Amino acid sequence: MKSFKPWKMLVLVMSMLLVITACGNQGSKDGAAPNSQGAGNKTNANSSTPPDPLGKYPEMVTVTEVLGYNPPEDSRTPQGITPEQNKYLEDLKEMLNIEIKYKWTVPQSQFEQKFSLAMASGDLPDIMELNMKDFEKLKKQGILGDLTEAYNDYASPALKKYMESDGGFAMSTFTSDGKLLAIPAFEDPFLSTQLLWIRKDWLDNLKLPVPTTMEELDKVALAFVNDDPDQNGKNDTYGISLQKTLFFWGFDLRGFFNGYNAYPSVGDNQTAWIKGDGDQLVPGLIQPEMKTALGKLQEWYKNGILDKEFALKDENKAVEDLTAGKVGISYGEWWYPNWPLNLNVDKDPKAEWIALQIPGLDGPGKSLVPKLRSNKLFVVNKSMKNPEAAIKMINFYIEMGYKKYKEDKGAEKGYVYNWFNPRIYNPADIETIYTEVNKALEANQEEITIDDENYTSVARVFDATKDYLAGNTEKASKGINWGQYYSRAAKDGGWGVTRTIKESGAYVNNEFYTLPTATQVEKGPQLDKLMQESFTKIIMGAPLDEFDKFVASWKSLGGDQITQEVNDWYSKEAVK
Amino acid sequence: MKTLKKESILHLMLLPGVIVTLIYAYGPMAGLIMAFQNFEPLSGFFKSEFVGWDNFKYVFELPDFTQVLWNTIIIAICKMVLFLLVPLILALLLNEITKQWFSRVIQSAIFLPFFLSWTILGGVIIELFSLNGPVNGVIESLGMEPIMFMLNNSWFRGIVIGSDVWKGMGYNMIVMLAAITGINSTLYEAAEVDGAGRWKQMLNITLPGMMPILVLLGVLSLGGILNAGFEQILIMYNPTVYQGGDIIDTFVYRLGMFSMQFGPAAAIGLFKSVVSLIMVSATYYLAYKYNDYRIF
Repeated sequence: MKSFKPWKMLVLVMSMLLVITACGNQGSKDGAAPNSQGAGNKTNANSSTPPDPLGKYPEMVTVTEVLGYNPPEDSRTPQGITPEQNKYLEDLKEMLNIEIKYKWTVPQSQFEQKFSLAMASGDLPDIMELNMKDFEKLKKQGILGDLTEAYNDYASPALKKYMESDGGFAMSTFTSDGKLLAIPAFEDPFLSTQLLWIRKDWLDNLKLPVPTTMEELDKVALAFVNDDPDQNGKNDTYGISLQKTLFFWGFDLRGFFNGYNAYPSVGDNQTAWIKGDGDQLVPGLIQPEMKTALGKLQEWYKNGILDKEFALKDENKAVEDLTAGKVGISYGEWWYPNWPLNLNVDKDPKAEWIALQIPGLDGPGKSLVPKLRSNKLFVVNKSMKNPEAAIKMINFYIEMGYKKYKEDKGAEKGYVYNWFNPRIYNPADIETIYTEVNKALEANQEEITIDDENYTSVARVFDATKDYLAGNTEKASKGINWGQYYSRAAKDGGWGVTRTIKESGAYVNNEFYTLPTATQVEKGPQLDKLMQESFTKIIMGAPLDEFDKFVASWKSLGGDQITQEVNDWYSKEAVK
Repeated sequence: MKTLKKESILHLMLLPGVIVTLIYAYGPMAGLIMAFQNFEPLSGFFKSEFVGWDNFKYVFELPDFTQVLWNTIIIAICKMVLFLLVPLILALLLNEITKQWFSRVIQSAIFLPFFLSWTILGGVIIELFSLNGPVNGVIESLGMEPIMFMLNNSWFRGIVIGSDVWKGMGYNMIVMLAAITGINSTLYEAAEVDGAGRWKQMLNITLPGMMPILVLLGVLSLGGILNAGFEQILIMYNPTVYQGGDIIDTFVYRLGMFSMQFGPAAAIGLFKSVVSLIMVSATYYLAYKYNDYRIF
């Protein structure tokens, strides 16, 4: 112990501490840098020049975002590309001198969790994509920046045209105390119409007619289970595709319930609100029609039309089954051919899918259509120094639709459009594509002639359609071309059938279109759990009377209160 | 006083550790204040409204809470008992193997799953027990009806407990083997002279010799009476087995993360901690009283 030099030890400890703390400082400096950089150049950008929707900042502006991403839709996209490498970001930097920094990026399935965590810690980016519920929360906490001025000064004519295309209905929903707090990415509500997708080649194999009523669908589905529709000699098919979330964005049963005149949900697990007797809204989730429909599902589960283990499956598993040709019927929207049906078409050349208006009790049924389709809102953080940058970025995305940008800006070059935020579509995008492509087809044109910001989206579908009809698979596989054509342009395809439904009025409106009420926010998850648990159990064989118990619990656990709140809103504020 | 002075430099060296502990272990406890607030993240602790015991009331009055608490306790207790019993039997058996290499191989094989994360194992187990999985393959080949393990409330609990014990048993087994090695070998020699066989030796020497470590493991595990294995269950469960498989942690997770009710979530967390503290203190006291055993 004599040779022990305490001060040496002390120096060692202190120096180690120093290293540790120095590292910590380093980290926070890095994190803070982009903000201070962004702050500096706002003034000189604004004061000297008049607002230009696509004006380039003299100095680089850095904005932060977070991203939940799905794999690129287009299979021509380079393998292994990351959101940071998206070519749109490069162009954005070049054109507007705006740089996007992602605080984090996660696969879409983890986004909700990760974003909740970010909200809890208050670590939010400059520009955010929100759903209605999160919008309400952040609004209440006063974290949303005012976009009124930025929008008025900087919105491009195209953006203004889109926003006013519904008479300002969507925008007014997100304005509070005269302040515009979000740019809603609203779309034609009929895009949410559920159709029935069915394998025509299987129907032909079994010599069955196209089903128009529930009774017929029942027969077809049973035949798809038992009669070897793919004629491979194996008992390896089941009837209707389903995964564990009963009301979802696809591979679910909304359309099935609609066929029984039951309108439980628009797909977010919250109930849909339909007109009851008199001037009241009633929750579709607890109407007696639901019980009949659940009874049918129970029967379907028993005789194998539904997968025995649907309650363990997520959407990826459901897609696997569709792709592998294990199932030939699915309820879904107009975009199905675009994904995942195209995968099945590519895998099995014999596969032929058709779209049908949903079967109902006697003849085709009425699908549920929301009043407002806007699940995505773009907002800015109050602390953001350049809120107009968000508007400019939207302008940028719309601008990229012009013909002059189309040259080598395809997916194969690394342009992944669905990773770019904030992005606003033409609310009538699909309708424009449908009419323009069909016009060009009838006139036997070789190229699309329109010249506005819709060019790219119309041309993309037109080219794919041409290729598909000519059997040309040089640029893309048959499935991809067919997907583009059959979802958007074909008269008997996704949007074609949806249009006829719209015209013939074969739909029921979800009348509730505003932000969730206070009780919905508070009790929603609990009611959701109750519903999911009860319905799954009933389908898997619990007594049907469980439904009555469910209704009673739903009401007492907050359902009645929500009904009250919804009707208060409906009688005072709703546009009827 | 003299020693304190002499050792002052040593105390000084302890300081960074103490500070870090204070900051990272005790500091966050201030956050427990959330349990008594209507917490809004952006208002923070200082501006959020105080609501007293409302959060606790809210949670305990939730219709599912009793069920969830019950599930947690059943699963946790089963796991605790098995986590002592199974490794004990394994350790005793391994101890009887005289071939060194053989016992090493077995040891490693048993220890291996401990290092795998539930994220991977959960998926594997779901596949194993699925309707078309190997387990049902065996069942069907025996001429029985296949069972939907993961969608059945009673089976699900069993699988959760069984798979967790299987995954984690290697750790306790190693600890116990170490305890066996520590027993004085002269005791065995003496026993042999007295004519005791392997069985008697185990009952009268090995087991009593392991008692302190068994008590220690038992006491330490009791603190986790309300921890039934969050990660594992989160990955393996689904709405159909909420009834038998939903535990406090998964419940709080859904409450806190998806509905952003931080106050109630913190309240349950605090509740769990208090229960753990009571359990640990009680068992520690009992172990001291009846076994004269103390950790500190």
